[in-house]
Amino acid sequence: MHSRRNFLKQMSGAAIAVSAPPSLLAWTRASQSGSIDVPGEDGLIVRSFRFVDLETPVEYFNTWLTPVSHFFVRNHMHEPSELDAEEWRLTIGGEVEKPWTLTLAELSKFATHSVVNTLECAGNGRSLQRPQVPGVQWGKGAVSTARFSGPRLRDVLQRTGVKPTGKHVMFRGLDEVPGKVPPFIRSIPIEKALDADTLVATHMNGAPLTKHHGFPARALAPGWIGAASCKWLTEIKVLESEFAGNFMSPAYRFPNQPGKPGDAVKPEDTHPLTALSVKSVISGPLDGAKLKAGRVSVHGAAWAGEADVVKVEVSTDGGASWNAASLGHDQAHYAWRLWNYEWTAKSGDYSVLSRATDSQGRTQPATAVWNPSGYLYNAADQVKIHVA
Amino acid sequence: MAPLAASQKLTEDLPAGAMQAKATTSCLECHEARIILQQRLSKAAWTKEVDKMMKWGALVDAVDRDALIDYLSTNFSPDQPPYEPPRTSVKKTPGKKSATKAK
Repeated sequence: MHSRRNFLKQMSGAAIAVSAPPSLLAWTRASQSGSIDVPGEDGLIVRSFRFVDLETPVEYFNTWLTPVSHFFVRNHMHEPSELDAEEWRLTIGGEVEKPWTLTLAELSKFATHSVVNTLECAGNGRSLQRPQVPGVQWGKGAVSTARFSGPRLRDVLQRTGVKPTGKHVMFRGLDEVPGKVPPFIRSIPIEKALDADTLVATHMNGAPLTKHHGFPARALAPGWIGAASCKWLTEIKVLESEFAGNFMSPAYRFPNQPGKPGDAVKPEDTHPLTALSVKSVISGPLDGAKLKAGRVSVHGAAWAGEADVVKVEVSTDGGASWNAASLGHDQAHYAWRLWNYEWTAKSGDYSVLSRATDSQGRTQPATAVWNPSGYLYNAADQVKIHVA
Repeated sequence: MAPLAASQKLTEDLPAGAMQAKATTSCLECHEARIILQQRLSKAAWTKEVDKMMKWGALVDAVDRDALIDYLSTNFSPDQPPYEPPRTSVKKTPGKKSATKAK
């Protein structure tokens, strides 16, 4: 039986003449159409097509900035069906002296600021939790890094005059809500909203935000869970207290005390998710890889939300001993560090782990803290490889 | 020519069974099947999810609720092997000749 895998192996690297026999061309057409075409999205893992949830394969984590076509996409609900730069309006109200509705042209008049940010979904790694939990079953790739730019949120808010009663800032986007699902509305504390690095971002890696990433403007709360960075931003409301809605409670909350895995947790025993945890991912070798004995480069990325990564360690003996990896040159406050570790591997089967430590003294644990929604999975990363 | 792997079709179906048609009507109005296909949950957890979905607008007749929970719990229990997702197409590297004419 002519398996597709054998066929693809034969095809790779070979120059195929157009005059190849028709049966070969038919095979190629079949394998071309065997993947899902999502314009602008290159080789991403389709966790869902509707709603659009696309994960970055870990092998793509070898550049400091993730190209937009490789950047993971997360949507709770439907993307806006119509987005017009001219028609778009951003309304700012609530606990402010002068409520304001601005156009994209007016937003563009503000001075811009740039932040290289590692954006991670709170549910990244959820599929690794045991016992298993409901939600999008992300592997390790619901995380990416880009340079976001746009006006500082602080500058836009200061134009409206935030009152002393303003303690939280709510964001509402243009997501289209199916059925009776609560709208995707969340708030962040005023201190984070007024931080110099929190943006109303309009650009990503130097180009206007694409639709999947929140065109024409999104909130950007650097170092925080992705859900704080509301896409297709249309309303900012300054509130006296935390927004009361599903996506502030019970969603996006973490237990105050770790409980027994599998046990229910009461909402009153939780706090809202804010900054990301310390974490690392191995981008090569891949899990299941078969390598030749000799020099092996173990490499990946490490990040820590609002903190800095101070070291990354690699174990090639399942965690019995650890070795310092080298950290990459590129760095920024909220961005990951690339790292690598050069290993001389002898024949055998290995469990290779990576473990990051940050400037707040946090280190990745061997086992993640279980919680009913599977948030903030950050156990040391692991790949199993065979060296011949 | 071998058929396309199931996970590489644009849309997927829910598994065969007595509740397939009703589950399709109730669940896939709002989101695609993969949202369900990738879950691995106990019956207690499926019960919570079905009730949450009904609260959020999934149309499920009360008489069908138990059968729907059983259908999901049986097909997507924790011991099932993981769902293998498809990928989006990979851009051709500039300069490499393609074997086919552009569709």
